[in-house]
Amino acid sequence: MIADLWHQFLSGSFWQPLSFVLLSAGVLLPALAVVFSRNIVHSALWLLPCLVSVAGFFVLLGAELLAGIQLLVYCGGIVVLILFAVMLTYGVGDPDVRAYNQQLWWGLLGVAVFGVLAGFMVTAQGWPSQPGPLPPDVTGRLADALLGPYVFAFEVASVILLVAMVGALVIARWEPSE
Amino acid sequence: MTTVPLQAYLIVSAALFAIGLLGVLIRRNAIAVLLGIELMLNAANINFVAFWRYAGTANMEGQVFTVIVMTLAAAEAAVALAIILNVYRRFKTVNVDQINLMKG
Repeated sequence: MIADLWHQFLSGSFWQPLSFVLLSAGVLLPALAVVFSRNIVHSALWLLPCLVSVAGFFVLLGAELLAGIQLLVYCGGIVVLILFAVMLTYGVGDPDVRAYNQQLWWGLLGVAVFGVLAGFMVTAQGWPSQPGPLPPDVTGRLADALLGPYVFAFEVASVILLVAMVGALVIARWEPSE
Repeated sequence: MTTVPLQAYLIVSAALFAIGLLGVLIRRNAIAVLLGIELMLNAANINFVAFWRYAGTANMEGQVFTVIVMTLAAAEAAVALAIILNVYRRFKTVNVDQINLMKG
């Protein structure tokens, strides 16, 4: 019921384009700061507003459950994990260490990739311009899809998580005998 | 009623992907390279959810893919950071251009 009111609020006025512009700035500016911060701790912390804005995109698109998962898994899990790794690799956050390599041409390749992708999207015809009506109970339908036709992928993902957890423990274990 | 067209989401996501690719290519620190990979995965997730919303909400494939991608991103981050810790213990650095033991 609250979700219905929220969708009416989002779709009925100029709030959606305004939110989109604000969220785009909230994604892209922190992303640039992630790449161009000299201090790796600043980079990891700038990832946080970027990921929160991506969660905002998910809310804007009507995928509230994914926004919650994004906040929990990325902002709560991965960023903390990365900060721990920065803490344990002492000295690499030193701002005096050169932060970039000399691969300027590969950097230009990244810009070229964006140019090609954006040019294709601007010039291509036939993208749907209006979203259809949002069906009720998106989260319940996602649960039905995950435990119905996609249950095999779901279970494989669980096994991969278990293997990754055990593997990370084995790899990161300190062995003083070496 | 003014709504945001699909291309706007795709362009933002392409820009995020290009920034992440730039981070992967030009940073020396392996943890910063991992941050770039996270940015690229998030760009893919925005695309998945945007296509789900605009190209038909009858099927839930877009959101299912996003859930799987997030799961694999978490697993990948855990394993990659464990490898980075091990590399740091062995080489006392995590700069990817100084770890060239197998260079011919």
